[in-house]
Amino acid sequence: MSDRILAPPPGLPAAPLGRAIAWMTRRPTLAVGLCLAGLILFIGFIAPFLYPPDPFAIHPDHALEPPSWAFPLGTDELGRDELGLLLSGGLATMVVALPAAVLAFVTGIAYGLAAGLGPTWADRLMMRLLDAILALPSLIVLIFFAALVTLNDTSLILLLGLISWPGLARLVRNETRAQRGRDFVLAAEQMGAGRFYIARAHLLRVMAPVLVVNGTFMIGDAIFALSALSFLGLGVQPPQVSWGSLLESGLNLIALDPWWLILPPGLLVFMSLLAASLTGQGLLRRWEPGR
Amino acid sequence: MIRMIAARLASSALSIVILVTLVFFMAHLTPGGPAYSILGMKATAASVAQLNARLGLDAPLWRQYAIWWWHLLHGQLGYSYLLNRPVGQLLWRYELNTLVFYSASIVTSIVLSIGVGLLQGVYDGRWPAKLIGGLQLGFYALPPFFVAAMLVLWFAVQLRLLPASGITDLRLGHPGIGSYAAHLVLPVTTVTLLTTAALSRYFGEAVREELGRDYVRTARAKGVAFPAILFFHVLRNALRPLVTMIGLSFPYIFTGGVIVESVFNYPGLGWLMWRSALSQDYPILIAIVLIIGLLTVIGNLLADLVNGLLDPRASYE
Repeated sequence: MSDRILAPPPGLPAAPLGRAIAWMTRRPTLAVGLCLAGLILFIGFIAPFLYPPDPFAIHPDHALEPPSWAFPLGTDELGRDELGLLLSGGLATMVVALPAAVLAFVTGIAYGLAAGLGPTWADRLMMRLLDAILALPSLIVLIFFAALVTLNDTSLILLLGLISWPGLARLVRNETRAQRGRDFVLAAEQMGAGRFYIARAHLLRVMAPVLVVNGTFMIGDAIFALSALSFLGLGVQPPQVSWGSLLESGLNLIALDPWWLILPPGLLVFMSLLAASLTGQGLLRRWEPGR
Repeated sequence: MIRMIAARLASSALSIVILVTLVFFMAHLTPGGPAYSILGMKATAASVAQLNARLGLDAPLWRQYAIWWWHLLHGQLGYSYLLNRPVGQLLWRYELNTLVFYSASIVTSIVLSIGVGLLQGVYDGRWPAKLIGGLQLGFYALPPFFVAAMLVLWFAVQLRLLPASGITDLRLGHPGIGSYAAHLVLPVTTVTLLTTAALSRYFGEAVREELGRDYVRTARAKGVAFPAILFFHVLRNALRPLVTMIGLSFPYIFTGGVIVESVFNYPGLGWLMWRSALSQDYPILIAIVLIIGLLTVIGNLLADLVNGLLDPRASYE
């Protein structure tokens, strides 16, 4: 009996590689998304330490050169190695965007659960406040606050994290309200379970798929928001570089047609967003096939 | 219908009150207050106190809040710190450019989305719909600054077909309508591509759903031609979610606008917001944030009203 359960189902090859390929072809969206995400994480976290040249070294006699053997992705107007800058910029982007996404994720869940489980008047008040916050596109609020504070990694993480949670909070609150009257929650309440226990052991578990999907989207949103802010000069500050600020400095020289300064940073941001979007969509399709 | 409008108006008014309050306190969270952004970070305590007294920033917070409301209700948005001119006056100059830019982008996006969405709904499950679906996912993930930069690189720098930035050609004494239109092509294309990717997806989904409904089968059974069903029945019903989406995307088109206007140096509200943020000109920033909040509330209200007209049942929900 146990042999039959452990054996791969008919139609799936037994070899690990073959099984992996079969798995991927059945879920192309998720597979492409995960591969891209792996690639981006590699570029962001590992590649900067594998590429020896100092990205900030200046080579004045090689300024603004197209890609060559010495400089695989060309050089910028100061003669700095663009590949090195891109890798350094990737790390700078990830180091801010990922913690910010986690912060927004936790804040959104906490606010949503509090509103959903709290008394009706508190729920009404919290939702009204949320509506007013959601009336402003988050990038506008981000630009507003980025102008107010001193910009560094910590303030950027706080800024991005504390501004991009309301969407998730509304979702969690609605889901909490929907689940609250269901039998398993009522049964737990009857048995004397406290609100925290119900939230942790039941509600969060039921919502897990929705949360993971939206968490994936939030990582993409954080990378986009940080890149957009940096592009506008309101994100990662010099001398540090990021994908957004690299694209912006390429754009400043656009009359000289420096495609190698514009295409790669843009593509990297695009790939990150695509990775988050495809992974999220793939997971959504897998867990809720009806959608 | 009238009761619904009244209820929606009341709820919108409440949203605006909360929004105004939020923006006021957001601005007062500034470390050091606006005095430092006017005088610089190295200002002495005495000069800061003097400026605060002159600008009325030393009054109790509740008093400032009341004064602010009073001024807002009289249409006064304060003075720009750096340009030292009334904010309202400044905004009007940029508003017009933004309005032209947005209306062009929104109209092209809606027309394109309806076309793409109809195709996607009709060919559901076959390759054209799958191709469109893939393109939508791809375009949806494109960052606006990347699209804008690539369009400038291709069409303005390499092919030299279109102007790269600005609003008219300064070398011409009287820029005709042609120069104005040529300067709008690339910004409008950028926003249209990205907006269509999102809008057409919702619309295509709605068309697909409507095509599966009983009334479509009944109409086909009694011999109505398919194009007639599509354009007279399905289109009207599928427009409802599209109208809601357009209402909701109002402020988001603006968000894209900040980036696109900054890439193309197009002097609209988004560009003004960007410049003001870089120079910490809060009165302008606050005014723009307020305007966007108002636009959002108005956009949602309009979407509900149009939906009420498209489908009278919606007003009873």
